[in-house]
Amino acid sequence: MTDYELRELDEHGATEALAEITDSALAYLSLEDLLVELLERIRTAIHADTAAILLVDRERGVLLARAARGIEEEVRQGVQIPLGHGFAGRVAAEARPVAIEDVDDAEIHNPILRQKGIRSLLGVPLMVGERVIGVLHVGTLHQRSWGESDERLLQAAADRAALAIDDAQISEQRAMTEVLQHYLLPGSLPVIPGLAISAKYLPAPGAGVGGDWYDVFSLPDGRVALVIGDIAGRGIGAAAVMAEARTALRAYALERHSLEDVLSLLNALIVGAGRRRSVSVAMFALDLETDALDVVSAGHPPALIVRPDGSRELIAPASGPPLGTKISSGYSAESVAFPLGSALVLYTDGLIERRGETLDDGFARLLRASLVPEANLSLADRAYRDLAAIDAAVEDDVAILAVESYALGDTLHLTTDADPTHLAALRRIVARWLTQFGVDDAQRFDITLACSEAAANAIEHAYGPRDATFELDGHMSAETVEVVVSDRGRWRRERKSDRGRGLQLMNALMDEVIVERGDQGTSVTLRARRK
Amino acid sequence: MTMPAVTSLNGLPVAAMPTDVDVANAALVGEQLAGAVTHDAPCLVLDLTGTRYLDSAGIDMLLKLAERLRNRRQTLLLVVAEGSPLRRLLTVMGVDASLPVHASVAEAAESGGGGPGTLSPR
Repeated sequence: MTDYELRELDEHGATEALAEITDSALAYLSLEDLLVELLERIRTAIHADTAAILLVDRERGVLLARAARGIEEEVRQGVQIPLGHGFAGRVAAEARPVAIEDVDDAEIHNPILRQKGIRSLLGVPLMVGERVIGVLHVGTLHQRSWGESDERLLQAAADRAALAIDDAQISEQRAMTEVLQHYLLPGSLPVIPGLAISAKYLPAPGAGVGGDWYDVFSLPDGRVALVIGDIAGRGIGAAAVMAEARTALRAYALERHSLEDVLSLLNALIVGAGRRRSVSVAMFALDLETDALDVVSAGHPPALIVRPDGSRELIAPASGPPLGTKISSGYSAESVAFPLGSALVLYTDGLIERRGETLDDGFARLLRASLVPEANLSLADRAYRDLAAIDAAVEDDVAILAVESYALGDTLHLTTDADPTHLAALRRIVARWLTQFGVDDAQRFDITLACSEAAANAIEHAYGPRDATFELDGHMSAETVEVVVSDRGRWRRERKSDRGRGLQLMNALMDEVIVERGDQGTSVTLRARRK
Repeated sequence: MTMPAVTSLNGLPVAAMPTDVDVANAALVGEQLAGAVTHDAPCLVLDLTGTRYLDSAGIDMLLKLAERLRNRRQTLLLVVAEGSPLRRLLTVMGVDASLPVHASVAEAAESGGGGPGTLSPR
């Protein structure tokens, strides 16, 4: 055969091999299966003993072994190669092929390659445009001198593989991040009579999901906690830090730490974990009995409060830097009044920030947004409608959490989990209801505490997962207040003397206490003549 | 769970009680308080001026804590603002018949500084 004929055959073989490596069937595989299948085909086409793909992890500045054939240990042991070091690290850092004829003459970072007795290596970068997303390398157990055609074939395979990997990686990351976001944002918002709570989360168009979050929960002291936060960056990394921050914040808050301490503890945690991401967060605690709203912010934009007279103000300015940047000297909380008829809009910066605008422009737009009511639109929906919905320049995720306080009617209905930690929150709601109907301080205390005792009784009766809630129904008239607390648990004999004290307490505070025990559960009716 | 903050006034331990003492936290608060009193203290002052609600489990905890301290020849002194609903509750439930109730921490500290047994309840 002439040189020409040989080259022809080579070219022909290479083209065929290439077509086999990246046929369209691969498009339907998951990233994991895709990588393994690609490697097997490449190994066969190039007559190599091993093949491996390492992908760049930018957060950690390393290459991570993601798939391998012939050297499967590399993946099982989670081999990490620092960018710029060793054989694969050099391929990635220099974005060009590297051929090694004898590993004894080269710097090899990965001990598995030597352990397996690999003599020769050829690596090429996985490129998407100008971006290196990983490295593909093949190896042989016998010494082999890599020719230009080997390099061309491997690079051509790598180029096609890179696109498939990038696509799969993006859609996989997006899917994972969306699942994470979906899982972490409250599935349903708590139902708190007297408060209309609404929320909205919109990922930025086209980009990976970010680390915005909101949260609503009851504190052990009965206040309603409202949280809004934003992790710098986007994608799975931001979502993972969001998961940590959200969970840790809840844990610290449920341990009865003050608002200031919750943020300081969270900051120490994030800094200590070396997450290298800044986290802006604002936390609010609303006392439904006193209408006091305590606020604290770490580098988060101020919230919008709309007063009952329609006046607006930005509250909760940052009292310290975002979390996660350094050990801070601490955060300070302040308290503002949140009287009946007030509204609060918490948001992440995507709602107000626009390219080419100052932050003050954004605040100004927020302060003059109409927020005018519209059928079936919550306050969070209206904030989005007025500030972001028609604006093509929205480039970031948007999270909104909004709360409006409204007057309770003369009947009050509560369904509460049979969990004693909810009693404080129940007392706040009952007290708020009584206050709105002009019941004086002394009688409010008596009725609220009696309701709480009846509820504690219901919680004690409830057992087993099916009976894990109880109901409270209040009826207000000009002359009397009547509250019925009912559970569906079976009556059990009083086990302890302190429940007897509970009945004594109810009798001492109310004009009438009726306990009815039936097959369907127990109900306690409490009546008081209004003073 | 964070402890009720225990400070010292004229050498006497003073515990600031939470806004709510109920069946959810009474047992834990009681344990923490009992553990916070050293054996050489003549009394423990419980500052309930910031406490809005105290339910039957909370009352039970106070009575048990008082008994526990009594066995150590120590006195439990309650501080509840005069005219407050909580004061009335302690009366209707008969708690003030067995536990001294004071209007301020200063008043309680003054009466409790005389050493163990000086305020022993009847």
